[in-house]
Amino acid sequence: MKLASTAILTVAAAGMLAAAGPPEKLPYVYTHWKQFTVADGLPNDHIFAVKVDGPRVWIGTENGLAMLDKRTGKIKTWTEKDGLPWRVVTGIAVHPKTGDVWLALFGGGLARLSGGRFDHWHQLNSGLVNDVVYAVAIENDNVWAATTAGASRYNTVTGEWTIFTEKNSPMEEIWNYGVNYADGKVHLAVWGSGILEYDIATGHWKEYLDPDKEMEIDLYRDDGIVHVITTGVSYIDGAMWVSTYFGASRYDGRHWRGYYNQDSGVPSDFMNNIKARSGNEAWFCTDKGLGAIMDFPTNTWVAYTRDPKKNTGIAVVSRDKQVLETVDTGLSVPHNFIISADVDGNDVWIGTSKGLAWGIGTDYYPGLRERGGAQ
Amino acid sequence: MIRKGTLLLLALGTAWAAPKKPVYVGVRECAACHGGMSMGNQYSQWLHTKHSQAYASLAKPESREITKLSGLRMEPQQAPICLGCHATAAHTEDWERDPDFRFEDGVQCEGCHGPGSEYMTEAVMRDREAAMKAGLRMPTERECLNCHIEKGSHVAVLHTPQYDFKKGLETIRHPLAKNPKPAPIAAVPPPDPEAKGPKFAGAAECGKCHSGPRMGYQYSLWQMSAHARAWATLATPAGLEQAKKKGVADPQSDPACLKCHAPAAVPARLASVRIEEGVGCEACHGPGSAYVAEAIMLDKRAATQAGLRQVTRETCVTCHDAKTFKYDEALKKIAHPTRTAVANSDPRYKTPLRLAIRPGGRELWVTCEAADSVIVIDLGARRKVAEIAVGGNPTGVAFSPDGRRAFVTNRLDNTVTAIDAASRAVLKTLPTGTEPHDVTTDRQGKLLYVLNTSSDDISVFDAVSLQWIKNLSASRGPWSLSLSPDGSSILVTNTLARYSAPRTPFVSEVTQVETERGTVDNRVVVPDANLITGIDWHPSGRFALATMNRTKNLVPMTRLLQGWTITNGLAVLWRDGGVDEVLLDEPDLGFADATDIACTPDGRYALATSSGTDRVAVVDVAALTGLLERSSKYEREHVLPNHLGKPTEFILKHLPTGHSPRGIVVAPDGKKAYVANSLDDTIGVIDLGKLEPDGVIDLGGPKEITRQRTGERLFHNAKITFHRQYSCHSCHPDGHVDGLAYDIEADGIGISPVDNRTLRGILDTAPFKWEGTNPSLQRQCGPRLAVFFTRLTPFNPQELDALDYYITTIPRPPNRFRALNAALTPAQRRGKAVYERTNTNDGREMRVTDRCLTCHPPPYFTDRKVHDVGTKQPNDRTGKFDVPHLNNIYDSAPYLHNGMAATLEEIWTVYNAYDTHGVTNDMTKDQLNDLVEYLKTL
Repeated sequence: MKLASTAILTVAAAGMLAAAGPPEKLPYVYTHWKQFTVADGLPNDHIFAVKVDGPRVWIGTENGLAMLDKRTGKIKTWTEKDGLPWRVVTGIAVHPKTGDVWLALFGGGLARLSGGRFDHWHQLNSGLVNDVVYAVAIENDNVWAATTAGASRYNTVTGEWTIFTEKNSPMEEIWNYGVNYADGKVHLAVWGSGILEYDIATGHWKEYLDPDKEMEIDLYRDDGIVHVITTGVSYIDGAMWVSTYFGASRYDGRHWRGYYNQDSGVPSDFMNNIKARSGNEAWFCTDKGLGAIMDFPTNTWVAYTRDPKKNTGIAVVSRDKQVLETVDTGLSVPHNFIISADVDGNDVWIGTSKGLAWGIGTDYYPGLRERGGAQ
Repeated sequence: MIRKGTLLLLALGTAWAAPKKPVYVGVRECAACHGGMSMGNQYSQWLHTKHSQAYASLAKPESREITKLSGLRMEPQQAPICLGCHATAAHTEDWERDPDFRFEDGVQCEGCHGPGSEYMTEAVMRDREAAMKAGLRMPTERECLNCHIEKGSHVAVLHTPQYDFKKGLETIRHPLAKNPKPAPIAAVPPPDPEAKGPKFAGAAECGKCHSGPRMGYQYSLWQMSAHARAWATLATPAGLEQAKKKGVADPQSDPACLKCHAPAAVPARLASVRIEEGVGCEACHGPGSAYVAEAIMLDKRAATQAGLRQVTRETCVTCHDAKTFKYDEALKKIAHPTRTAVANSDPRYKTPLRLAIRPGGRELWVTCEAADSVIVIDLGARRKVAEIAVGGNPTGVAFSPDGRRAFVTNRLDNTVTAIDAASRAVLKTLPTGTEPHDVTTDRQGKLLYVLNTSSDDISVFDAVSLQWIKNLSASRGPWSLSLSPDGSSILVTNTLARYSAPRTPFVSEVTQVETERGTVDNRVVVPDANLITGIDWHPSGRFALATMNRTKNLVPMTRLLQGWTITNGLAVLWRDGGVDEVLLDEPDLGFADATDIACTPDGRYALATSSGTDRVAVVDVAALTGLLERSSKYEREHVLPNHLGKPTEFILKHLPTGHSPRGIVVAPDGKKAYVANSLDDTIGVIDLGKLEPDGVIDLGGPKEITRQRTGERLFHNAKITFHRQYSCHSCHPDGHVDGLAYDIEADGIGISPVDNRTLRGILDTAPFKWEGTNPSLQRQCGPRLAVFFTRLTPFNPQELDALDYYITTIPRPPNRFRALNAALTPAQRRGKAVYERTNTNDGREMRVTDRCLTCHPPPYFTDRKVHDVGTKQPNDRTGKFDVPHLNNIYDSAPYLHNGMAATLEEIWTVYNAYDTHGVTNDMTKDQLNDLVEYLKTL
C-alpha cells in the first residue's frame, strides 16, 4: 500500500508502535482521493453541499447544482439559465421513496428537482418562512427546511406548511443552520439555540443547550453541548453528533462528550458542518481541515489537511492529543476550508471552498485494527 | 359560569392556541330574558318568523331542487352552503357553540346579533356600549343581504321577489315592551320527578330519530306546522286579546290555555321538554318517556304498550272544536309520512367514460360516471352481463396483468375500488389523493399507479397488499396513462398547462414514470398544448400518441374566424423525449375536444375520439410518421403544429359515433374497437377490418332525455362554434377551469385579459364576468357567447334554457380539506381567527371594508359586488372586479382577475403591497400560512 511506504512515523514521545507489546490498533486512513473542480465541469468551486444518491452524487455550489455520475464520471450541471431557481445551493436531500432531489437555496428558498423539472417554493409563493435556506432534510413525507427565520416543514402529500419559531418551539434564536432526520427524530442545529429535537411520534420538542450558557469556553467538561452556536447535527445509532463554532459534541442519550482542538485530533474548533457514519465515527468540516473521529471509545482521530505549498495532503492519526502516525496521502482535500461532507458506503465525499474531494475507501474498515505492514 | 367553549379554549392553552372568542349560546338563552311579556314576548315573536323555521324549510322538496341548481349533491340540511343561511353558526366548530345550541332552531337571535356568550348577561346588556364591545351586533342592510341577496337557484324554484330590506325588517319586527323588564318565558309548574305514569319527553327527543330524509323529515315538517307555534300564538295580539276576554292576563302561563297550546307544560314531564314547543309529537301520540327509546319504537307492540297512541279524530277534538273541526283536512295540513316521495326522481343515466378489456379479451369493463358503477360487457354476446356498484363518479378502470383484479378510480370519493374480476365482488376500497382519474399496474403487477387529477400527484400502492407506498409529483391535472410496450415506463398526461406568467405562452407536461424504481424520471414538455388527455403507446414502442388542444389564449377569441382560438390535435411523444405536434382539425371542420386515442395491435392505425364533434378519426400511423420524417426541424416545430391542411395526409377517414365519445379501446385481436358514447349510454363498436361502425351496445340507461341531459349534450358539443372548433367543455372541462387567462374581446391584443372561472355552483354567484357586467346566465351563454366566443348564430331559446339549466347543475366536489362536520385542524382554526379578525396585530381596529368577511361573507364567501382591490394592471379597462366566491378555492389556481397570482399566498405577498385587498401586511408569515390553510376549507 502506498501509504505504508511513505508514512512518516513522527511518533510521540512515548514511542508508539514500539517493538515490545502487541501492534497498535489504528483507524483506516483514506489515501486514495480524487478531486473535482471547475476544470472538471463543476459550475463553481465553492462546494456548499454534497449528497450521495446511489450512483449519483449531487453537488450544491455557490453558482449552480451538479450531478456526478460515478459510473461514467460525467458531470451534469444546472444553473439559473437551465431552470435552477436560484444560484446558491446550500443543502441537498434526496427523497428515498420518490427519488426527488430537494435543494436548500441560500436566498432563493426551496426547490425540488423531479424528472428534470424544478419546482420552486419561496416566501412569497408558499408557506416557506424565509428564503435564506441553509439545509434541507426529508422526514417521511415531509420536507424540513432550516432557514434564517425558523424552520419550515412542508407536507408533500397535503401541501400544508408549518413554521417552527420561538412561538411554538423552544427556539431561543431562529437562525437555523442545520436539519437532520433519523429514527423518528428531527434535529435542528440553531445558531444560538443549540440543538432542538422534535419527536415525530409525540410532536414534542426537546432542547439541548450549553450548560455554560454563552461562554466560549467549556467551564465543565462533558456536561452538555459545548456551545449554543451550532452548525450541524447528525443522529445515528442513538448518538447525536454536533458541530459548533467552538468545538464538537457527542451525546448518546446519557453521556455527553466534548471535542476541542486542544484535546483531540480535530484540526480546528471552528466547524462548518458534521456528517456521522455511525455512533463511533463522525466527520467534522472545519476551517482548517477535515477531522474524522474514527473510533469514539478510544478518541482516535484522523485529520486530513492539504499543504497549499506542496499541493499534497497529510493525514494525522491521533489519540486524545497524542499523534500516532502521520501519513502522506498525496492528493487529499483540495482546500482546508471544509464546508460539507457525505458518507457513501466505504467512500466519503468532501466539499471545500476550492472543489470537491472523493475519498475512496475500497478497503475501509470501521473502528481500529491491527494494521501490520499495510492498511 | 364557565362555559364548555371557554373550558376548551383554556385547554388549548398557550398563545399559539386559537384566540379566545365568544361562543353561540342559542335562542333559549336569549329567551331567558327576552321571553316574557314584560319584554314584549320577543321570543314568541321570533317563533312566528321564517327565521325560526329556516332550518326546517330545507326539508321542503323545493329545497332539493334549489340544492341541485346550486351545484350541490348533498342533503340541504347537511350542506354547509345551505346551512350558512338557514341555520345560525353553521360555520362554527362544536366548541364554538354551547351544548344546548341547536341548528334546528334555524336563524336565531345570534344569527343577526352575534354570538352571545360575552354579552348575554343582564348587566352587560343593560349597557349598550358594553354589550357592543362584548360582541353584540346590530345588523346592517349589508349584513342581511349576505343571505337575502337574490340567488338564482331560489328565484328559479321559488320565484321569490327581490328582497326589500325595509319590508324584511317588518317581517321580523320584535319590539321591546314599554319599560321593558327582563323576564323569562312564562312560568309553568316545574317538572315533578315523582310524578307517576308516563311523562312528556319533548319533541326534540322525538326529533333525534324522526329527522332527515330517511324518516321523511318528520321533525322538520312538525316545526313548520301551526302546532309548533301553538304556544307562541298565545302571545300574538289576537291571542292576548282572546285571553283578555277570558280574564287571563298572561295566557302563556295559564293552565287552561296551556292545556291545548302547550300540553307538555305539566309536572309530568322530563327536563328535556321545551314548553315553547307548543303542540309537540306527544300531544297527539301520548307522553313518550316510556316509548321514546329507539329499541321500543322499533317494536310497534312494545311502543303501544308503553303509551304510544294512534291518533284519531277524538284525539284532536280534545282541543279542536268538535263542531267545526275537519279531521281529514287537518291531517293533510300536518301530514308527516315516514316515507316521502322518491328523493330524486331524475333519471339516472350511465354516462360511460372509459373502458378496459379484461385480459383474455372476452369482457369489456366500462366506468359509468353518472351511475357510480362499472358495467361488464360480454364481447361475444355484445351485451351487458353485470353492473358493479363502485364509488362516486368512477372514471378509470384497469386490470392486474393476470386479469384477476380490476381497479376503478372513484373521482368523487377519492378512492380506488379493487374488485375480484371473476366474482365481481369488491375486495377493498383504497383512499387515494383527490379526484383519482386513471389507474394501471406495472407489467409485473407489483405496483399500482393512481392519477389524482385534483391533487396533481400519483399515488403508488403495492398492487398485491393494496397498501399505499408513496405519492409522486405529476404536473397539473394528471389524467390518463399508458404503459410502454416493454413495461419500462408509464407516460402520464396532464390536462392543465403548467402555470405561466400573465401574457406568456404556456407549456404542458407528459410525466414519465420509470417502473423499476417507481419514480418520475422525465417530464416531457409539450409547448403551447393543453388539455392533453388520452394517450396510448404505439406497439412498436418508438413513440406514444396523445390527444391535446392548442389554445391560443393570448389573442382575442374572435380570431376564431381565422381558425385560431383552440385547435385540436395529437402530440407524438418519441421514446427519446422528443415531441411533435400535429392537428386533427381541417380548415373548415374542427376536431373539437380530442379526448382519447388507441392504437391497433399491428400499429397500423390510431383511433382518436372527438367528444365535441361526435366522431372518431382513423389515423394512418405510417402516413403520420412519414410526414414528420419528411419535414424539416423548422417545419416540425413551427408549421405542422398549426397546419390545418396536413391532417388530410394522415387521417384515413372519420367515423360517426354517438353523443360525446370519450374513451376508446381496441380489442387485443385488432378486429374491433369500442367507443364510450358518454351522453348516449352506449358503447359504439367499430369494425377495424372495414373501418366502419358496427353497431352499438346498449348500457341500459334511461331513454328519456331530460332538459338537463339536453343541456349536457349542448355543453359538450362544438356545433355552436364556427367550424366546430370547440365546445363549452373545451375551456370548462368538467364544468371547471382550464387554468388559463384569456384575451376575449377584440379590443386590441392583451386588453383586459381575464382568468378562466369555474362553472361549478355558478348560478348563485351572479353577476358574471370578472367585471361583473353580465347579470344572467342567459346573457352570458346567449348573445355574449355568440359575439365573443362562437361567432355563429347563438343557441335558440330552448337550447339556451337547457344549456343554462345544465350549467347550474354542474356539481362542485366536496371540499377536500375539510370533511363534512369535521373539526378544523389547529392551523385551520388559527386561520379562521385571522379571517374573521377585526383588529390588526398591534390592536388597531380594522375598517369594516378592510376585513376578509366584509367582501367574502359566508356561505359563498362573496358579497357579489365589484371592488377595487388595487390589482388593476396597465392594460385593464377597470380596476373594479367581481368578488370571486371562495368555495373550493384551492382547486382553481391561478388567482386574481387575470390569473397573475400563481398561489393563494401571492395574492397577499405580491399583489397587496398597500393593503388595498384587505389589511394583511401586518400579518406574520405563520398567520398567512394559517389563513391559507383555512381558506382551503371553505
